Order: sequence, then structure tokens, then C-alpha cells
Amino acid sequence: MFNRLYNSLFNNLISKVVFTGLLTITLLASPQLSAKGVYQSGPDFIAEVFAPHQPEAGVLWFNDNIRQQAEKILGHRVLGLRVRYHHSAGKSAWILNEIGKEMPITIGVVIDQGKISSVKILAYRESRGGEVRYPAYMAQYQGATLTDRYKLDKSIDGITGATLSVWAVNKVAALALYYHSQVMSQPESTK
Amino acid sequence: MKSSNSVKRNIIWHRRLGLSIFLLLIFLAISGFALNHSPALKLNKISLSNSWLLSWYGLEKPLIQGFKLDDKWLYENGNNLLYIDRQAVAPCSPPLLSVAKSPNILFALCADSLHLLTENGQLLESFSQLDGLPVNTRAISAADNSLYLITDSAVLEFNPDSLALQPAEINSASLNALTAQLPVPESLEQQLENTGPSISLETVILDLHSGRFFGQFGVLVMDIVGLLICILSITGLFAWINRLRQIKQ
Repeated sequence: MFNRLYNSLFNNLISKVVFTGLLTITLLASPQLSAKGVYQSGPDFIAEVFAPHQPEAGVLWFNDNIRQQAEKILGHRVLGLRVRYHHSAGKSAWILNEIGKEMPITIGVVIDQGKISSVKILAYRESRGGEVRYPAYMAQYQGATLTDRYKLDKSIDGITGATLSVWAVNKVAALALYYHSQVMSQPESTK
Repeated sequence: MKSSNSVKRNIIWHRRLGLSIFLLLIFLAISGFALNHSPALKLNKISLSNSWLLSWYGLEKPLIQGFKLDDKWLYENGNNLLYIDRQAVAPCSPPLLSVAKSPNILFALCADSLHLLTENGQLLESFSQLDGLPVNTRAISAADNSLYLITDSAVLEFNPDSLALQPAEINSASLNALTAQLPVPESLEQQLENTGPSISLETVILDLHSGRFFGQFGVLVMDIVGLLICILSITGLFAWINRLRQIKQ
């Protein structure tokens, strides 16, 4: 009788410990598993931004001034001689990459009449810090413009544990605003 | 008398212990200090690729292979970088699948992106899978003033100006795409001394500090050294207490 009671209690305890352990492991692992991923392809992002219209594709070629300023904004060398964008009626969409900690984050930025209209993480490749993609965080960028010192005019709240990713998104948002200003200052025929 | 002998024995053993682990103790203190300040000292940024060290860690230098396009060698250096001869030009997820050349643009197809480069090796732009490059693209070929991407199931004509793709009525076998890699010349490989697998200085110091560098034996030695440090502290404390007693007497 006593043995049976002891066995049932012991088994119950073991199963609870195992369940709690598995739950803990799952909870600890889940943010890491969910952080990485491709959330939207570039063409899908562009189609969503300009729907139901068809945007025009454009290429911004870097001259020395643009390159220097872009490098100042990013704080490092800019790869490539040109960058692609899509535009329609004063609105432009940019898909840019920037390293968070070690891996590039692909970020889509939409500028409308010189102000950020939306920012979206299209692909996140780091194992941590993926909280930057949450809409509540991204909403902070809405309406931001570029100051004379090529910084965002809005203060963006950081995220604990995702500082480098936040910096990367800030830099890309400022860079897209800068690129947009360059495109808008060009004659219509060259866009 | 007995007590005086035990005090002497304590001091003798304290000295012997101190002397026997003196060098290791200094090393542990310095390595511990370095590890504590590793981010400031940027130890994790210092890569070591000495062949002896790599073989000690069971790593092998990969055979660097690439493509010869006219007089230029294009290859991935084993560290996710695309090189043209001696110049790193773009990030490149291995393997480098194929290369091609149109009149003024070089094309290098890596595992997840197609890089467009000027003739002198400057990156024009990259066309990645996220931008619309088909996932199963395995080769690129230039023929009849057109560029073709060969996927597992189709051949697509590629416009390098608009990055647009459209189905092409052409047989992939007739395109002669460059897909077979060749070992890069020795002169280039020698210059790649600092690429390929490497180990950070922080890892090496950490492994030396913990003893793991020398396997289980090293860990055991460090355990014993830790134990001896405890004994050294205790014998030192006893020696100090006895000295105080002697002074009082």
C-alpha cells in the first residue's frame, strides 16, 4: 500500500519536473528560434507599399558626395556603385541592408513627401535582438525626417538586448531619407 | 617543541607550494585580467590562423578554388568574401557557383546572391534571393549579347539594368556556363594566409586559462592548481597567525 502510494507520488513528481524542464527549455529557446527569418520578399514589400498602383523602378548612382554622406550616416564603407528604389507620386521605397551585430538585417523603408511613412524588417539573420521587427517599435519611425546633421529628428526608444539592431534600423532609416532627398533633388528625366 | 615543528613544516610546505605554482599563478592572473577586459582589448577581433594552431584545434585550411575569367581569378576565400585576384569585392555565401562576363560587367553567382561588378572589380550591386533571384539558380552564362540564369528547372534571361527575369527558349546545355572550379594559383593562395578558418585570441586565452587547450589533462592540472591555491592561502594564513603568536610571546 505504502509502496504504491510512494511510487505514484514519485512518478507524479518526476513527470512534473520533466514537464517544467521542457517548458523552461521551450520558453528559453523560443525567442531565439523566432528571431531569425525572412518575413517578406523585396518584390512583395514593394507591391504592398504601392498597391494598387504600379511603381516605377529607379536607380540612384553614387557620386562622391552621396557616397561620402552615406558613409558618414552608416559609419562605415558603402558597398556598391548604385542603389535601387521604387517610386510613385513623391513616395519612394528602399530596401537596404545593414549589419546588426554580425549579420545583415534587410530593412524596407518607405518615404512619403520627405517623411518616413513606414519601416519594416524584411529579413533578420541574427539569433537575438529580433524584437526590432515588432510593429509597436517600428511605428516610432513614422513621420520622422532628417535633421541638418543627417540624423532622425525623432527620438527612438531603444530595446534592451537589441541595441545594435536598433542602431542599424536608425541608420538605415536616416540613409533612406537621405537617398530620397537626393532622388527628389534630381531632374525628373534622370530618376 | 611539537608546535614549533609543525609551524616550520607549514612554512616549508607553503614555500614549496608557492614555488611550484608560481609561474602558473602569474599566467592565470594575467590571462584572467585579459579575459575580464576582452571587449576593451578586442581580443575576440584578433584572429589566429597559424597552421599548427588550426591543426591543434582540428581545423583544416580549405582548398581555395575559383574561376578564371580572362586574366582575372574570381573565388570565395573561405571566409564568405568574394575576391577578384587580390582584392576583396563583396560578401559571398559559399559556394561560388558560377561566373560570367558581359562586355562591361562581371557576374559572380554565390549561393544566395548574384553580384554585378565592374571590369576593375568594383561592386555595382547585388541581386539577392530576397530581391527575386530564384532560389535554385545554379549557373549564369553570357551568350549572344544576353545573360541567362540557369535554374534547376528553367533558363531565364536576365536584364542587368533592370534586374528583370523572363523565361528564355534556350537549352541550358548549349550555354556552356562556367561551373567547374579550379584551384587558385599558389601565388594567390599564399596571399590568403589570413583567410580561411581562424580562432580568436580570446578563445585561445580562455582555453589556456581553463586548461582545455591541453584536453582533459590540462583541465585536471588547472583543477589541481586551483586546489593548491586554496591550500597556499590556508598555509599562508596559518603562517601569519603563528607569526602573530610568536610576536605576542
